[in-house]
Amino acid sequence: MLTLTRRSEAQRPGSKTAPGMSEAPPSLLGPGVGIQGELEIEGELVIAGLVRGYIAALKLVIAPGGIVEGDIVAREVIIAGRLNGRVFAPSVTVEASAEVEGRLFHTNITVAQGARVSGRMPWRPVNYFETLDQLPEART
Amino acid sequence: MNLFNRNDKTGETRQQTQTPAQPQPTAPQAQPQQPQPRAESVAAKPAAPPPVPTPAPQTPSAKTGAPMASVISKALKITGQLESTEDIQIDGQIEGDVRGVGVKIGQNAKVKGTVYGDEVELSGSIEGKIEAKKVVLNGTARMTGDIVHQEIKVEAGAYISGTLTPELGKSDSKPALKPVATSASVTPITH
Repeated sequence: MLTLTRRSEAQRPGSKTAPGMSEAPPSLLGPGVGIQGELEIEGELVIAGLVRGYIAALKLVIAPGGIVEGDIVAREVIIAGRLNGRVFAPSVTVEASAEVEGRLFHTNITVAQGARVSGRMPWRPVNYFETLDQLPEART
Repeated sequence: MNLFNRNDKTGETRQQTQTPAQPQPTAPQAQPQQPQPRAESVAAKPAAPPPVPTPAPQTPSAKTGAPMASVISKALKITGQLESTEDIQIDGQIEGDVRGVGVKIGQNAKVKGTVYGDEVELSGSIEGKIEAKKVVLNGTARMTGDIVHQEIKVEAGAYISGTLTPELGKSDSKPALKPVATSASVTPITH
């Protein structure tokens, strides 16, 4: 499951970067949806509802009003809602409406003015995410 | 949130003295989404945000965020429980129970677990159980397990392995209604 970053890496050179993303429309979890468990998607996922658990995606968007409690592994993460947990992604964007508690492991991060972030934002080189086989244990 | 709303209102009342008429017409549409970001910006730097320009950039983001039908695309795999108070379209894989209102399960979708709902339309496959008032099995449906329903429609070509029980609500929803009726008929004892 955590090899997803590798898998997507493997897809890239095959000239078919787009199919996974464009073929299927991005998955949307609306405000009335609550999920407890593991989510894995080789594409884009937009969360406006509540998710408790582990998420692996190529691109993950937490929309305004969306809440995620748990760990996220992705290539790109955009947070405009609430997150309580950890993010492991080369590219992280925290929008002004975001409320984040936890850790944002990143190579490239943008935090908008007005965002509430409490926690650390450790920088990691890109290859850290490519070789991420197992998430480090959560220290609370 | 409540705190922010209060801050927000106090901020508004201060600023309303300047432009009392303008914020009001825009308010009913945008208000539910507005308080958060604006309140934060108020908290961050109290003097800066003027009331009129702020709603404009926020409403588009609110529009993209609010009216959405939930879609679980075919690339998505969920292991765990899913609950929804709105209609939901499932094209991916789910291992676990699904509780929804209107649940549509697309052709390539696979669900292992129980699907509860008011209306369940199945074109893909379920291994488990369906409990719904109205069940529709399309021609491409593959159902392995029991179906508890009130109403069912099965198209030619659907595969069903399991029992159909038209008894949903006989133990659940009707008793919930009846006591209300009986208590209502009992209560008018008073003059």
